[in-house]
Amino acid sequence: MSRKILIVDDEEVIRKFLKIHLAKLGYEVKEAGDGEQAIEQLGKDDFDLLICDILMPKKNGWEVIKEAKSNPKTKDMPVIVLTAKNEDSDMFKGYDLGANYYMTKPFSKAQLLYGLQLMFNEA
Amino acid sequence: MKDQDKKKIVITLRWTAIIVTSYLILFGRGKVTDIQLSHFLIAVYLLSNVLLTFLPKTWFSNLKFFYPLVIFDTGIVTFGMYLSEKMTTDFYLVFFLIIIFASISRNFKLLMVMGGITALIYGVLLYSWGLLTAETGASYTLRIPFIFIMTAFYGYIVQTLTKEKRKELTISEDKYRGLFENANDGIILLRNSQLQIADVNREAEKATGYKKEELLQKEVLDLFGPEEIEKARCYFKEVVENGEGRTDFLSFMRKDGGMLEMDLSTKRIDLGDESFYQMIFRDLTEQRKLEKKIRESKRNLEAIFDGIRDQLSIQTPDYQIFRVNRAVIEKYKSTFRELISRKCYEAYYQRTLPCEKCPISVTIETKQPASSVMKISEDNTTLQIFSYPILDEKENLLSVIEYVKDITEEQRLQEQLIQSEKLAGIGILASGVTHEINNPLSGIIGMAEIALEEEDPSKNRDYLKDILICAQRISEIVKGLKSYSRAAKKEDLSPVDLNEVLEESWKMVCLAIKNPPLEVIKKFQPIEKIQANIGEIQQVFTNLITNAFQAMNGGGEGKLILATRSLKDSVEVKVSDNGLGIPQKYLNQIFDPFFTTKKPGEGTGLGLNIVYRIVTKYEGTIEVESKEQVGTTFTIKFPKRRDDS
Repeated sequence: MSRKILIVDDEEVIRKFLKIHLAKLGYEVKEAGDGEQAIEQLGKDDFDLLICDILMPKKNGWEVIKEAKSNPKTKDMPVIVLTAKNEDSDMFKGYDLGANYYMTKPFSKAQLLYGLQLMFNEA
Repeated sequence: MKDQDKKKIVITLRWTAIIVTSYLILFGRGKVTDIQLSHFLIAVYLLSNVLLTFLPKTWFSNLKFFYPLVIFDTGIVTFGMYLSEKMTTDFYLVFFLIIIFASISRNFKLLMVMGGITALIYGVLLYSWGLLTAETGASYTLRIPFIFIMTAFYGYIVQTLTKEKRKELTISEDKYRGLFENANDGIILLRNSQLQIADVNREAEKATGYKKEELLQKEVLDLFGPEEIEKARCYFKEVVENGEGRTDFLSFMRKDGGMLEMDLSTKRIDLGDESFYQMIFRDLTEQRKLEKKIRESKRNLEAIFDGIRDQLSIQTPDYQIFRVNRAVIEKYKSTFRELISRKCYEAYYQRTLPCEKCPISVTIETKQPASSVMKISEDNTTLQIFSYPILDEKENLLSVIEYVKDITEEQRLQEQLIQSEKLAGIGILASGVTHEINNPLSGIIGMAEIALEEEDPSKNRDYLKDILICAQRISEIVKGLKSYSRAAKKEDLSPVDLNEVLEESWKMVCLAIKNPPLEVIKKFQPIEKIQANIGEIQQVFTNLITNAFQAMNGGGEGKLILATRSLKDSVEVKVSDNGLGIPQKYLNQIFDPFFTTKKPGEGTGLGLNIVYRIVTKYEGTIEVESKEQVGTTFTIKFPKRRDDS
């Protein structure tokens, strides 16, 4: 059974190419366009990985990660932060909240693959 | 006695005198020298009394009427006696004796007693001479009541005259006493010899603190303290020599030891046989204190006036200079004398007419303060000129204060400040823009990588479309950033469409802030362009919109209203939010430089100050209305350009 990944980003084009890349790699991908949708999806389904943007309408990425990490169902789910916020303080905040990998935009496919490898220990 | 009674008595007495005199002349023993003249005389005497009945009663209290009447009556009687041979020498003597008695007697009753005694003695004499027993004794007998009647007539008249005189004297004395006692100045009368105090009025008692009885025991020199006594002695010596003297350098020593500074004038006056010196003095203590305060205040004001480094001058309503401070003299390398009385526009700007936009002209016309900024091309300076009216109590314009501030350096610093704030804004914007660019950039990279890997070329078209959209987004962002970072230079004044700039600014702020407000309402009406620097106006709007976003906690839940409209003389821009609002206590401070309620590092406190500076630079106004938890509205009004109206 393939692994299930939730992509949360308000940029449609980013969700689109991530989905193409990940689908090619054999993952099952679900999308959310804002923080509230993400929380909803996390409640409905079980995911093996959360790729989450930070600056989003309604609920930001920090709140999504916080809720995910405080929910027993999702607390062990690995999280990749994918954001344009490239300052050290943001990165530390992400790790503090329980993120497993911090990836800044713009990024390449290689960076994504590296992140996935770290998360799942596979290529 | 009433005037009416006086008139009756005088007329009655005269009728009696006329009857007796006429009888004696016409029917006495002996012949009349000139019978026609005698008849004429009696007729005149009769007519005169008839005439008196028609005269106003008030005349009978007037001495100027009484004296001629007495002389007239005496003359008539005397002349009548002369015409009649019946009047012998002894009768003349008795008649004039009566007049003498009447003139020296002050007491009417005594006079009547004397008249009675004289009539009696004369009667006895006539009897002893055997004249009363003769055939014509009746005419002699009549002389006795005649004497008595004439005594009564003259006696009454003399008494009336005396009373009137006394009354006049009493009135005159009362008037003098009233003036003396009620005078606002202190008055002291000194006896000639030793300058002993003879009389004082109430004000003198009050001013010196001594009672009248105490003062009357003193000599005038006792009223001066040891330090003043020599000066006082010299003064009185001079007064005695010249008969008068005036000084305001002497002070009395009051009973309580305090000094009474005064303006003193002394003059010799003669009252009856005695000479007095009348000292009139006015208490100058309060006046001196006031004068001292005024002098100090004047000195202070002059020091302040001259100490002010900006130019201050006072002009008349016809532009004539009548006071300038040191800064003006230094600025124009001139002297006070050279500037005074000259027209300000001639002296300062070598013009023949008042300057255009001169605030003094506005103040002269409106009697209200005014100000304007003038650029002086000769020395490339910028002056801010304020004018303030000085009005009298009837609101008439007395003069105008002109306060000239050289703001050349201030303006340069302001430009710099605006520029630095703009750069800071660009910095903040850049971080927002980075995020905004990185997103489409990620899209481009990601899509390009997919396209490269894609084996089916038909799918690439779709990827390339996404890449193009992302690239166009980046292009828009860069364009906007470039527009924002235009330097605000003075030369860049151009007609500015506020609707366009407001829209552009709104977009720029949206770039920097991830969460735009939920609702943005734009109510843009067609409005006139204003003459301004577009970059500065953009800075005003971006600062206000950024503040609105921050007040709405990043914008997400908020409602932003951007509105413009055209008013009669101005164009109006409103930026409203439904954010946290500004606490009432801060409303007066929000435009102050470096005032911020944000945490350190989050705000410079210059944003609204810059807004205020820019708006007022273009002679605009900015107002704020705010209620906590309800929202804030900033209203900016710029005056319409003159050529638009």
